[in-house]
Amino acid sequence: MTESSRGRWVRSLLVIGRVVLAAIFIVAAIAKMKPLEGMPWTLGSVRVSLSMFAVGVDSYQLLPPWAVSPFAHVLPPFELFLGLWLLSGIALRVSSIISSLLLCAFIGALASAYERGVGISCGCFGQGVLINAKTELIHDSLLFLPLAFAVTIGAFLLHRKPNTAAPSHAD
Amino acid sequence: MVWLRPASLFLTVAAALVLALLLGSPTALRAQGTPAASSTAATHESAAHAVAPAKSALGSPVKSYGSPSAPVKLEVFTDYQCPSCRTFFEQTLRPLINDYVASGKVYVLHHDYPLSGHQYSGMAARWANAAARVGQFGNVEGALYDNQMMWEMTGDLKKYVSASMPAADFKRVEQQMEGCDGPGPTAAPSGGVAYPPGGHACPLDAFITPDIALGMKVPVQATPTYRITYKGQVLPAASGAVSWAILRQFFDSLLAQ
Repeated sequence: MTESSRGRWVRSLLVIGRVVLAAIFIVAAIAKMKPLEGMPWTLGSVRVSLSMFAVGVDSYQLLPPWAVSPFAHVLPPFELFLGLWLLSGIALRVSSIISSLLLCAFIGALASAYERGVGISCGCFGQGVLINAKTELIHDSLLFLPLAFAVTIGAFLLHRKPNTAAPSHAD
Repeated sequence: MVWLRPASLFLTVAAALVLALLLGSPTALRAQGTPAASSTAATHESAAHAVAPAKSALGSPVKSYGSPSAPVKLEVFTDYQCPSCRTFFEQTLRPLINDYVASGKVYVLHHDYPLSGHQYSGMAARWANAAARVGQFGNVEGALYDNQMMWEMTGDLKKYVSASMPAADFKRVEQQMEGCDGPGPTAAPSGGVAYPPGGHACPLDAFITPDIALGMKVPVQATPTYRITYKGQVLPAASGAVSWAILRQFFDSLLAQ
């Protein structure tokens, strides 16, 4: 396999990886903000969903009470922003590092809940979903985090080898 | 530098979207006040009494607080010997009962979900059901949680139940408890109802086992588990302790709809 064809492979895989990663964040954000069944899409109904997500965040017992609500109202819009950012491909190294760090934080929170035996209401992909912290932990650690790491590594690799990303230069 | 243009455009659009969402949720960024925490122990003590369930004439036990016609119904599945349930009752349910139940906004319905790992929780559920049949559920639930660390060491539930109500009512409760000695029913991990060694069925269990069966349908995976119904719509169940300030914010957003 030549340098240029390997570069094309890396680029293609990177595009697929970042689209999948972006989709994960966008789906997670929409699931948290989606109005409850029977409610229309309004700011008020999104607020209800975010308040319900705050209840889930509180069940982790990780944040001080004053921080729970602001965090729960900021995280889903930020996830949406991050998903769109990843999708755009702009400054991919930065966006992929942020997504890896965010996933590490989620895994840390789940591990802590599992360790403390806390019954948690995840809210990861929707409101008030009762989860088994261990299952979710395995799920996140084995699927999402490796994907985020792969996208980050790919983004750095492509940045290091601009020639392989532009085969026309070699011709 | 051509890429800067779409980049700036994207970042502007994305930032505007996020800002719009944040501005749409002004309550989000408002610091959580401490009204729930500021309630004194004395007012908490009176919480259950203020909206105590209606007296029942030894029919089905009334294990609820407030009016069933309230816009929000909160169903709670708890185990009297579970420490998280005690925290949930003391820090969340009491202020809730004192405030939103008293003002007719929320109706709280208790369901027994005694866990098999707890020696006395089935028995505690029997005492609570017997008390609920004479209209003393609120007092007994409060007494069981307030003294949980005491009776879970000795199993002496009677002492705290008797102290929580008038002697005449306690006599009626005690009559129902005849033949109900030994460990009470618990939710078996494999499903169904199980009795710990030395335990056997008694008439009061007829009020506990339907709650366990309902909990298994929800499904209850940890206690406390709670389920909210708003305008007939049952929301997904959630479990674990939640502070009153956060739960109140959720109720406020729901009631504002």
